[in-house]
Amino acid sequence: MEIGLNHYLVLSTILFAIGLAGVIKRKNLLLLFFATEILLNSVNIAFAAISHYYGDLTGQMFAFFIIAIAASEVAVGLGLLIVWYKRHGNIDLETMKSMRG
Amino acid sequence: METLLYIALFAPLVSSMFSALFTTTPKKTFVGVIASLLIFTSFVSTSLLLASIVINGNESVHVEMMTWMATGNLYIPFGFIVDKVSVTMMMVVTLVSTIVHIYSIGYMDHDKSFNRFFAWLSAFVFSMMVLVMSDNYAGLFIGWEGVGLCSWGLIGFWFHKESATWAANEAFIMNRIADLGMLIGIFLVYWNTGTLQYEGAFEVFKTLDPATLTWIGIFLFIGAMGKSAQFPLHTWLADAMEGPTPVSALIHAATMVTAGVYLVIRSNELYSLIPNVGLFIASLGAFVALFAASMALVNRDMKRIIAYSTLSQLGYMFAAAGLGAYWVALFHLVAHAFFKALLFLGAGNVMHAMHDELDPFKMGGLKKVMKWTWIMMTIASLALAGIFPFAGFFSKDTILEAAFAEHHFVIYGVLLFTAGLTAFYSFRLVALIFHGEERYKIFGISPHEAYRFMLVAMSPLLILAMIAGVLQEPFFHMIEEILSAHEYHIHSHTTLWIMLVGTQVFVALAILYAYKKYANAFIKVPDGTSAIENSFVYKFLYNQYYIPYFYEEYLVKPYRELSDIFWNKVDMKILDASVDGIAGIIYGTGEKTRAMQSGNLSVMLRWMVVGFVVLLSLAVVFGLTARYSENITVIFSGLGAM
Amino acid sequence: MLDHILSILIFFPAIAAVFGFMIQKDSIRAYGISVATIEFGLSLWLWFTFDGNVSGMQFMENLPLVPSFGVNYILGVDGISLFIIVLAAFFTMIGIASLTETPNEKNMIITILFLQMTMAGVFAALDAIVFYVFWELSLVPMLYIIGAWGGPLRIYASIKFFLYTFAGSLVMLVGMLFMAYFFYQATGTWSFALLDWYRLILPETLQLWLFAAFFIGFAIKVPMFPFHTWLPYAHGQAPTIGSVILAAILLKMGTYAFIRFSLPLFPDASAAFMVPIAVITIIMIIYTAMIAYAQKDVKQVVAYSSISHMGVIILGTFALNVEGITGSIFLMIAHGVVSGALFLLVGVIYDRRHTKLMSEFGGLAHIMPRYATIFGIMLMASVGMPLTINFVGEFLSLLGFYQQSHILTLLAGTAIIVGAIYMLSAYKKMFFGDVTKEENKNLPDINKRELVALIPLSVIAIWLGIYPKPILEPINNSVEAVVRLMHNKAQSELAKERIPNLVKERASVIKKTVIEEEVH
Repeated sequence: MEIGLNHYLVLSTILFAIGLAGVIKRKNLLLLFFATEILLNSVNIAFAAISHYYGDLTGQMFAFFIIAIAASEVAVGLGLLIVWYKRHGNIDLETMKSMRG
Repeated sequence: METLLYIALFAPLVSSMFSALFTTTPKKTFVGVIASLLIFTSFVSTSLLLASIVINGNESVHVEMMTWMATGNLYIPFGFIVDKVSVTMMMVVTLVSTIVHIYSIGYMDHDKSFNRFFAWLSAFVFSMMVLVMSDNYAGLFIGWEGVGLCSWGLIGFWFHKESATWAANEAFIMNRIADLGMLIGIFLVYWNTGTLQYEGAFEVFKTLDPATLTWIGIFLFIGAMGKSAQFPLHTWLADAMEGPTPVSALIHAATMVTAGVYLVIRSNELYSLIPNVGLFIASLGAFVALFAASMALVNRDMKRIIAYSTLSQLGYMFAAAGLGAYWVALFHLVAHAFFKALLFLGAGNVMHAMHDELDPFKMGGLKKVMKWTWIMMTIASLALAGIFPFAGFFSKDTILEAAFAEHHFVIYGVLLFTAGLTAFYSFRLVALIFHGEERYKIFGISPHEAYRFMLVAMSPLLILAMIAGVLQEPFFHMIEEILSAHEYHIHSHTTLWIMLVGTQVFVALAILYAYKKYANAFIKVPDGTSAIENSFVYKFLYNQYYIPYFYEEYLVKPYRELSDIFWNKVDMKILDASVDGIAGIIYGTGEKTRAMQSGNLSVMLRWMVVGFVVLLSLAVVFGLTARYSENITVIFSGLGAM
Repeated sequence: MLDHILSILIFFPAIAAVFGFMIQKDSIRAYGISVATIEFGLSLWLWFTFDGNVSGMQFMENLPLVPSFGVNYILGVDGISLFIIVLAAFFTMIGIASLTETPNEKNMIITILFLQMTMAGVFAALDAIVFYVFWELSLVPMLYIIGAWGGPLRIYASIKFFLYTFAGSLVMLVGMLFMAYFFYQATGTWSFALLDWYRLILPETLQLWLFAAFFIGFAIKVPMFPFHTWLPYAHGQAPTIGSVILAAILLKMGTYAFIRFSLPLFPDASAAFMVPIAVITIIMIIYTAMIAYAQKDVKQVVAYSSISHMGVIILGTFALNVEGITGSIFLMIAHGVVSGALFLLVGVIYDRRHTKLMSEFGGLAHIMPRYATIFGIMLMASVGMPLTINFVGEFLSLLGFYQQSHILTLLAGTAIIVGAIYMLSAYKKMFFGDVTKEENKNLPDINKRELVALIPLSVIAIWLGIYPKPILEPINNSVEAVVRLMHNKAQSELAKERIPNLVKERASVIKKTVIEEEVH
């Protein structure tokens, strides 16, 4: 059986669902970052696969962009996370309620 | 001539404004004197106008002062016309008002609002002059509403009295109901003829179809019904007696209430084209004559009795006008103004003497102390009853003859019977006040005759009430061209004589019966125990056929209650509440969805996912529909995008 | 300067208001009065240089704002708007002059000057967007006046006033955008200029939709039944000057906009909606008059009476003939004068007794005869006594509508009856009878400052009732232009039948020349 575009897309969808579930379920900020990474990478897979399928490099270019942005996002996010941990002593989402409307 | 016209018209206005300057200051006799002089000036000018019309044979004096309203096709000027009809009315108005003004100087002597009284009274004269002299329906309407306003101010003159202010408002509002009819009549005239000038409108009337004319006639007559207090808008007139007595004499007997008759006479060219409406007017007039006379039979309020007799006589005038005998109606109007004003002023003297007591049963025997008043009121009553040779004989008998000659025997019969009733109740009043025992002594009142100058002021009316009959022939000749009048001749002389003598005997018997019944020594102040007072008919008549009660119970009260319901229930509970409800829903939604914004990051993330899923589904839906894009274009163009 | 007089009229008070912040507290009153007087003088100048025989727009100004979308700063006046501008300036002047002791007087006067800017702007604007901007801006000072100086329920009342009218005008804005879009579709260029829109003939179905969109915005402002419930609250809570300006000028924006927008833009829709609107106005007239009769608070009586009179104005507008529309514009002025004066009069007694309940008064005619007299004059003007200003307007409005429907006019004519009922009973409760309350026995009669405001109003109320010509004639000329435009644009049979054709020679013109010949 040859591995075609659909397989990649299914993998991407599964990863996306896992990431989405993680975003919903996790209470720990660090794990939330992991879930976000999974989401972004699922999209990367889809981009790369579709790019290959059409023979158009734009999709792969986008994937690189996303990787770069994800890296910087994680860098900033982790920095903030560390500051938060130093201030409050935990990184539990339930305690972050200062934006209550 | 024009100067005379303007003097006649504006002297009362000057008088009113002059008096108005002193309304807030204490009584100043000179205000009354100057006001009377100015009204007298108006009277003199009117007399000169009359002389020029009668002697020099001037057709009419017609002036156009300035434009009032002009827009579209509508053009309404302040135009005034003095022709034979209006000059007659002007004579009546200025003469009676001069007398009433002079009389009031004495009558209102002790009133602290003396100056205000003259301001209102002169304003009334001005409005009445506008009403009479105007050459178009809109100008007539100015005067029409103006006299209503002054009547409001004068009925409610003693505004500390609840009954007076109530009566004032009643009169105003009831007149307003009729005025709406009048206004609609004016609109009809305008849209059908394109003008409101009498002259122009009458020209066009001849070419209009009878249905339109009938509507115009009916609506204008509704206006006349209000001002002349015809059934069913009659209740205000009796209540209007709350005003000072000179007011009753001038406004509610001699002039304002006859404005309705004047309107019908003025529009005679209209009403002679629609005899059916005329017959209705005549029938209503005859009915009101009888109806009002029946209420006067039992009433125990001196002024109200005279008011009912006024109402009854207005019925006579309408009967005549409705039958096409316009000049007869106008002549009766003139004669009636003289003797009825005299009667009212006499009643004013009695009231003064009796300290505002109105119940004739509490008087009696006043002829000893008030000899002149007694003579005047007796002669006025004789004139009212139509005894030869006083004024009423000539005018009223002509109405009867007209009804007979036109073969409306029912109307004739009703009017004849009413003449008997009129004689009876008039002399019931005279007998109760001036004859019999001096019952007022029980109440500790010491009556006195009125000031001499008041009596002198009344004397022209006395003379006119006696001799106005001789004016009938000249009046007829003066008016015949303009009112297309014809003399009413009953062909057989025998019939005529039988009618005349018969009527006189009938009336005289009624007078004698009244004297016999009420001029004796056994009359007591009724205390509600006698058999007659408890009979149904008496109660029915005494309560004015329960019509005021009916109006109060079934019109005024429901209106008030409905107003309350509209405010408290409909406006507040339904309309306002639904607006607040919509606002409440929006607020409530905000309040509820506020929980979403809990600040809890994981909850917010969950909502984010929900939103994402919703958007994704929408994308799918739109992706699918994109295949049917042609249809979508159709849908969008249906929304207005072309 | 005359070329820009409208801009000066609009922005002079605004600039003066900004400078007002720098004025000392104790001299702000004199400052406000002088600014308002200059403004009024300018508006009078506008009137005297206005050519009453020209039916079109005068003193036009045109300045591009966003040319690519056809949004331009276009101003101009004709007989329809001229007198409302003068009236607005007049009421601003006497409003400030008669201002009683107020906390934060400085802010109040500055707010009123801003309000004057928006009022002048609304009536002078000939570009839909500029019109809309001023229309919405006028809410802000009023919101502030009610919310800051109002009675106990002021916050509720001011927010209700603001949101209700705002919601309505948003619908109107959508209508305007669609209108501009259709103009673009038809001509290929964008334009929000009213005079451009006048040239557009829309299909009838489209007219109905657009008419409805505009109608909601205008009807809430007027206010028409059943959108009127904000008005009693606003009047009930507003300070005297707020009520005066609200009743005299702000309500007229709605009726003015009907004549400026709805009639000439959508003649077919106007004809089609004539009967339903007439029914609404009849409900307004009778229903609110009955509510006015049930009121216990004299200010509410006047407030509801305003709604009732606005009904007559709308009725005259939708008569769609010269007599009716002229009458309705005249009645706008008349109602402005009379209701403004009545609110001032209520303010007089409120200042003395701090209550507006009629049961607290009674017999005031004994104590305050001058006050009772002026109130009486305004009362009679309000019930439409001939020779007062209101009568001319009411008479012409009803006369005009009579051509369209007899029965509906008869029903609407009950205005003169129900109006008399509530007004007279209110007057009786307040002024007649004996003085029962101890507090009322020593009330001072009306003072000089109050007379300064009330005497001119009384004079106007009578003068224009006797001699309405100086106002009626320019209005008439402009209205004839509107009716002619409507007739030419009308497509449906109904509209052609209901909107008269004005080609025949005017009777009034003929008559006038005849008289002039006699004079010479």
